[in-house]
Amino acid sequence: MRISHNWLKRSIDIGLKPQQLAEGLSMLGLEVERFEELGKAYDGFLVGEVLECQRHPNADRLTVCRVNTGGEVLQIVCGAPNVAAGQKVAVGLVGATVPKNQHDPNGEPFVLQQIKIRGVESSGMICSEYELDLGDDKDGIKVLGTSAHVGTPLAKYLRRNDIVYDIEITANRGDWMSHKGVAREISALTGKSLKPFSPKPKESKDPAAQQASVHVRDSAKCPRYVARILKNVTIQPSPLWMQDLLTAVGVRPINNIVDITNFVMLETGQPLHAFDYDLLEGHEIVVKCANEQERFVTLDGKERILDSNTLMICDGKRSVAIAGVMGGGNSEITAMTKNVLLESACFDPANIRRTSKNLGLSTEASQRFERSVDIDMTLVAANRAAELFQELAGAEVLKGAIDIYPKKKKPRSIALRVARTNAVLGTNLSVAKIVSFLKRLGIRTRALKAGTIAATIPGYRNDLVEEIDLIEEVARMFGYNNIETQTDARVNLVSVPGEEDIEDAMREILVGAGFNEIVTNSLQNKAHALLAGEPPVEVLNPVSVDMQMLRPSLIPGALDVLQDNFNHGQPSVRMFEFGKVYRRTGTASPDTLEGYREERHLLLILSGAYSPQHYSSASRSYDFFDMKGEVESFLSKFFLDKYRLIYYDNGKPLSVDNIHVEIQGTYAGFLGTLKKQIAATFEIDREVYLCELNVDMLQNRWERKARFSQLPRFPSVTRDLAFVVGQNVPQVDIERAIRESGGSMLRNLSLFDVYVGEQAGAGKKSLAYALELQPTDHTLTDQEANAVITRIVDFVKSRCGAALRS
Amino acid sequence: MLEKIHHLREVLSAELSAAKSRGDLEAFRVKYLGRKGILAQLFDELRGIATEDKPAAGKALNEFRSFVQGEFEKQQAHLAGQETPASSVADISLPGRVRPAGTKHPITQTMEELKRIFARMGFTIAAGPDIEDDYHNFTALNFPPQHPARDMQDTFFVSKNILLRTHTSPVQIRVMENQPPPVRVIMPGRVYRNEAVSARSHVIFHQLEGLYVDKNVTMSELKGTLVAFAKQYYGSSVQYKFRPTFFPFTEPSADMYISCFVCGQKGCPICKYNGWLEILGSGMVHPHVLKNVGYDPEVSTGYAFGMGIERMALLRYGIDDIRLYFENDLRFLKQF
Repeated sequence: MRISHNWLKRSIDIGLKPQQLAEGLSMLGLEVERFEELGKAYDGFLVGEVLECQRHPNADRLTVCRVNTGGEVLQIVCGAPNVAAGQKVAVGLVGATVPKNQHDPNGEPFVLQQIKIRGVESSGMICSEYELDLGDDKDGIKVLGTSAHVGTPLAKYLRRNDIVYDIEITANRGDWMSHKGVAREISALTGKSLKPFSPKPKESKDPAAQQASVHVRDSAKCPRYVARILKNVTIQPSPLWMQDLLTAVGVRPINNIVDITNFVMLETGQPLHAFDYDLLEGHEIVVKCANEQERFVTLDGKERILDSNTLMICDGKRSVAIAGVMGGGNSEITAMTKNVLLESACFDPANIRRTSKNLGLSTEASQRFERSVDIDMTLVAANRAAELFQELAGAEVLKGAIDIYPKKKKPRSIALRVARTNAVLGTNLSVAKIVSFLKRLGIRTRALKAGTIAATIPGYRNDLVEEIDLIEEVARMFGYNNIETQTDARVNLVSVPGEEDIEDAMREILVGAGFNEIVTNSLQNKAHALLAGEPPVEVLNPVSVDMQMLRPSLIPGALDVLQDNFNHGQPSVRMFEFGKVYRRTGTASPDTLEGYREERHLLLILSGAYSPQHYSSASRSYDFFDMKGEVESFLSKFFLDKYRLIYYDNGKPLSVDNIHVEIQGTYAGFLGTLKKQIAATFEIDREVYLCELNVDMLQNRWERKARFSQLPRFPSVTRDLAFVVGQNVPQVDIERAIRESGGSMLRNLSLFDVYVGEQAGAGKKSLAYALELQPTDHTLTDQEANAVITRIVDFVKSRCGAALRS
Repeated sequence: MLEKIHHLREVLSAELSAAKSRGDLEAFRVKYLGRKGILAQLFDELRGIATEDKPAAGKALNEFRSFVQGEFEKQQAHLAGQETPASSVADISLPGRVRPAGTKHPITQTMEELKRIFARMGFTIAAGPDIEDDYHNFTALNFPPQHPARDMQDTFFVSKNILLRTHTSPVQIRVMENQPPPVRVIMPGRVYRNEAVSARSHVIFHQLEGLYVDKNVTMSELKGTLVAFAKQYYGSSVQYKFRPTFFPFTEPSADMYISCFVCGQKGCPICKYNGWLEILGSGMVHPHVLKNVGYDPEVSTGYAFGMGIERMALLRYGIDDIRLYFENDLRFLKQF
């Protein structure tokens, strides 16, 4: 919100430099984001008089002007068609920054330089309205009034002498949304008191109550409604002082009636609405809720459909305004308006917010009402406006305000305990100190009992409801930075530090293994979300269709990353992501948390070159067994021998060659090769190997404590065995048969050769294993070794139909 | 003969120590110990010597021969010690085989560092769901229904009552609902905001939230804890200030600022030329929040704080666009 320095000065003597004021208010919690001296934009601009104009010797459209700027007569080349001798004009001197460049598509500012235009020196510029950022006219220079004084700084001529503060209003402080409100905060900051404010319009003898009536049917939604009748108004432009203040804070002056309602709102924080009295049927105001599905055309010309909770202002026959939000076209002030019914009311904040949200219509009025206004200000603001109507529109103010205020609000009183205040803040403030802080805030106090203060809250502080609110006020006034900084030394070191997160441990291993971690958006488009074949969770109000669904799998997001990186010329991608996946669950209602499930997953991806290019070796791409090896070494690190790979493919939606990972008999994820057609939809032309694991599940089965086993004290014996089996027999069958029959004597088993060819026989393959045999308690004899080998060979032969290759 | 030997002894030492290379040494060996070398000649000469002189000369010559041999070997060993061994590869300036290192995402690295600091200060870690209900995300945190405070955080809804959490604060509620005081936890996690994606904002980001509730917890301690944190994370010379602000779930509420370490408070685009960086929001847990979880605000007080991880990392690494975090360009990731 914009706040004018000159406007503030009408309420309080500030006595601080803008910088100090901005800093002081910010440290009280009223954040001043920046301030702007309005005249600064016109540094280096003066009022000049064009003395003579001559055609440019080398250009038909240019004029060479001699311009008197007070002290000096400048030669300026001008391209405007309307320049003429005798005009008063706005002159930018060399070095000045022209606010808008009309030759730049974005109108960026530029600095004036001494230049030659087609051979003629030009010392400055005669500016257009657009260039001065005063309007849209680019077609010619701005001609100033004949009375403009030559040599006057342009800022002064334009009456740009204000300073404007851009303030950020927190959601709890609606009372800051006015110049009076900010002035009150300055008073709290500096201790200077506010100038008195009690407007009293001169009233005529004619009582308002006989000319109009007000009926409030829902006093919960409208606790107070004040109407004043103003007769015989003259609609005309507002005086310059009012126009200047409104312009400074970014409100465009319209006419005196509209300007007065805006002015009083920005001054007091109380929104006002002016009805054309003669358009109100029966000269009556009725405040009641709309009919369900009622249609109403607001001032902006839009038709709105209302519900029965929408509070309306009606006349004797029809609705004339949506209460606290926006008026209707049927009763608005026009050039023909003679008499005005002025509304100053107080509405229920929650109801106004609801209406504003439902209609998607947020106005200056609704923003103030939903933060709640000062019920004591309702009448004052009406009187203030009436006073201005009289002064600026020659209005006759009828006698008395119609004030419907059935349940007069008593000032709130809050008990504040000094000990509690100090206990929360960690301070040692005295009663007197606390009382003085509250007094500066306009809060009256009295002693309730020893150590307890009764504080009476002014009507504009609707945010102060209970003790903690006052404690915060005390803290603000004391200054947060004056509260001592104590290091709390009560850490309970005996408390259980919580379970170690397997994710952290796994990340270390993966980074050590050369994987790069990625973090992707968990919101994605529908096509991606549906790929995983799980029911995804849809966002009702997405920012775009690209981010419409929560991901049910980490894979599609990572494939986008993979494709991007290949596009950037990465030869090799080795990456992982830890992240949550989300899905709808079964039959539970979508309006309960049981309707959703989220799991932490881990995704590994290998694709592209196996290793960086090196002159010494031929390059190769990652293959399936690279991924399988990574997964096995990774799993054995965390689950020792408690994991199992299950070789069957039950048709994963995204991958082929799937191997399921089971930990202690429970499915924990899979690894596989990305389907070609899926890769194609992501425009990836390389093989992609994936592994996705459920981290929550892994967490629970983590074998955290390794057990030591004795190192072998006796030498081992290695024997090689080669089996010939049918080509469709999985290697793992042979391996399992060897392990099963080898028993505890078999210490290590490794496959060192796979041969398919003539010597193995048609449709056969040969698998050659090295077996390391080692008993734990003695040195193996040849005889024993032979016995074990024979046992293994016989078993593998009978189990797998294998033959021993000689 | 004896004189000759005597003379040779003197010359020989100088000659040997002058032998600086294998070649020199070999030349020395040939000259003295070779088949036609000086020693061989001396032994030849020994035959012509008078019989009575023979034993003495022979003994001297034998001694001399072992002396020469010994000296030669000494010098040989000496040279071997100095010399670079023979090269086994053609060109050692050829590139080595690089095993590319893995990297943690900068968000993870930042999160880990923050977690470490707070773990040292006795905070344990808690987590909660990303898909939350209105109660935990708003109502229990003292956002009244129909209150403008709800506009502070633009929310994604998945149903009327279910939403994507807009902050990690609902985890505070879940932790306190499940245990009596004292609680001292940090709550890291992903949050969602319905905002346009730009260099400065994104629909997802990460927060780290802290909560301490116990008997007699004061705002002074809140400041102490946060200052201790800032000094550990930004260095002990960091300047700080606290400014009043508004959050529905804390009162009093405070934003913490630190001196801009980018420009040393001289003014730069990062601190918007005011010398201070806002790093976190904090405050004393609102009594309504404590009541909502069944704590007695007269018995327990507490503080809470929360910070944005992307912002912390952005300031730490000088990253100028938040979107880079989620694009995962390896050229970006490998810088950390």
